[in-house]
Amino acid sequence: MNDEKPYRKLETQALLQQIAFRHGMEAMAASEEGTLAWVSSGFPVEIPVAMNVFPTYPEQAGAIIGATKIGPEVCGFAEDLGYSQELCSYARASIGSTDRPDDVAMGALPKPQALLGCNNICGTILKWYDANSEQTGAPVFLLDTPPLEAEQKPHHRAYVKQGLERLIEFLAKTFNTTLEEDRFREVSDLSSRAIKLWTQSLKACQNKPSPLNCADRFLTMAPVVSSRGVEHCTEFYEVLLAEVEDRVKQGIGAIREEKIRLLWDNIPPWFILRFFNQLAAQGVVFPADTYTHAWSGAVEGTDTDSLLDGIADIYSNVYLNKNLDAKVDKMCQLIKDFDLDGFVMFSVRSCKRYSLGQLVSKEIVTERTGVPGVVIEGDMVDSRLFNEAQIQTRVDALLEMFV
Amino acid sequence: MTGKPFGIGLDVGSTTTKGVMVDSKGSIIATHLQGTGASAASAVAHVLESLFSTSGKTRDDCRIIGTGYGRNIVDIAYKTVTEITCHSVGVNTLNPDIRLLIDVGGQDSKVIKIGSNGRPEDFELNDKCSAGTGRFLEVMARVLEVSMDDLGPLALKSKSPCTISSTCTVFAESEVIGRIGSGDSPADIAAGVHLSMASKIGSLSKRVGVATPIGVTGGVALNPAFRYYLSDILKADLWVPEIPQLTGALGAAIIAMKDNLVS
Repeated sequence: MNDEKPYRKLETQALLQQIAFRHGMEAMAASEEGTLAWVSSGFPVEIPVAMNVFPTYPEQAGAIIGATKIGPEVCGFAEDLGYSQELCSYARASIGSTDRPDDVAMGALPKPQALLGCNNICGTILKWYDANSEQTGAPVFLLDTPPLEAEQKPHHRAYVKQGLERLIEFLAKTFNTTLEEDRFREVSDLSSRAIKLWTQSLKACQNKPSPLNCADRFLTMAPVVSSRGVEHCTEFYEVLLAEVEDRVKQGIGAIREEKIRLLWDNIPPWFILRFFNQLAAQGVVFPADTYTHAWSGAVEGTDTDSLLDGIADIYSNVYLNKNLDAKVDKMCQLIKDFDLDGFVMFSVRSCKRYSLGQLVSKEIVTERTGVPGVVIEGDMVDSRLFNEAQIQTRVDALLEMFV
Repeated sequence: MTGKPFGIGLDVGSTTTKGVMVDSKGSIIATHLQGTGASAASAVAHVLESLFSTSGKTRDDCRIIGTGYGRNIVDIAYKTVTEITCHSVGVNTLNPDIRLLIDVGGQDSKVIKIGSNGRPEDFELNDKCSAGTGRFLEVMARVLEVSMDDLGPLALKSKSPCTISSTCTVFAESEVIGRIGSGDSPADIAAGVHLSMASKIGSLSKRVGVATPIGVTGGVALNPAFRYYLSDILKADLWVPEIPQLTGALGAAIIAMKDNLVS
């Protein structure tokens, strides 16, 4: 049956399911042992992991809630508590599933002992984790990484580094643990290796045909988000890279007949990943996207001090913490490096930080690269905000420009 | 597929369904326009029936392309093409000079930059809100108790248009009712309604980049007050085809005939 589909399923997906299952079990065990922290996706997890604190991710839980198509229902639980429909659907899914975990088939997280947020991905995280804190009784730690206008200045790095030092104190006090340099180095090394392997898989998509499509990357990014610094995460990316390289060697593409190569911008609509597979039937592949390319910096350092410097640098420089120029540059670079014909910008109602400025970016990117793009509107979890017919017309019209 | 001597474009819109039949030279043989109603499938059947009876041709003589939001229900079409491409091609057939096309239909509005090859180079559509579409004017005409045909001429009588600040149809309706309550004249209110709509479409156009000459199509292109205010906002003359609702269907029919030459 698989042979008839316009896309090819990755063998590595089976391993991904095992890792996801293992992560869930370990999170439950950690919760019972009193070592579980909920963390935001751009949080420097190398530190809690090295201090034997187990991280798990409300945003990933939101993606699962979206993918299992219960987003509107679970977001509705938060709305019942009085939260606005305008609030981020990851935040609503998190608050809703924490309020009524028994009504959420998949995606409710076990009770945390701490909440670790970093505002390098958004400002909503502050209030969202405050709400989670009220619900669970777990204390919040906020790592402040002010947005970067251009290059990171020394005082900016010093400020973030102080925040990291406070984080170490917070974790030591909350979990009665210490940060050992050897372990920190080991975890950072594992994290760097995972990120480097992941980056290699991403880069392999410059090949024609592209060995991975958007949906492949959105799924296989899960371990690098949730388990960087853990041995099995690094192993997973070795297996993935082997499969990717094998595809490249054999000239096997992620889709059967690659005709049009596009860039995807923003978080995907988790409830309708088939969107990418339907486009695959029209010969459309997405060899690159701004979302999975957000985790590309590797932590380098030889001792605690230099590792903290590296972390202060990398986690301040994540895609969403930079200004619009940097985002436009990144898009143009991806279009050039991956030889893309056009781009699709998903304006995500929930994610203002990601979606702000897309209209003007679209104009500039087209001006600089000469390739056309389209903005479509919707949401990553709340399918009530996704009008399939309107989106189809916009995307089809873009594709007709390539005829 | 063997060549067929005639092409049909069926544009199934949210408000009206349009059909155009052309011959191998691209000349229009027959046209039909009617309300889509609750059943797009039966509207399509009626339009086809009319095209065949006017032209004396049969289905076997024609290649058919479906376009518009209901394009996928045109099951006898050999392919579907979006209304964005079809309007562009249709307008290019009637007036090859047009570089910017503003199409304001019943429930959406689009601005298309037309390339020298007659196909879209860039486009923007209105967001999920119905303000800036024909529906907006329909709602306002109902509130002002005038017919759609009379709404534009009424607005043109105004010397001092009201300000309608809301960009949402529902809130604008409340605002208009408020204006009626405070004694503003129907002409001034109607002018304000058109001005509000034209400014919304104007900003959509500026997003794409205003390039002249500009063409306006869709049912709303028939409204003189809308054309007046839009022309004023864009500081440009506007070209309107004789039957501005038909350009999408015409474009689809033309594409069907071009495909014919290729096949």
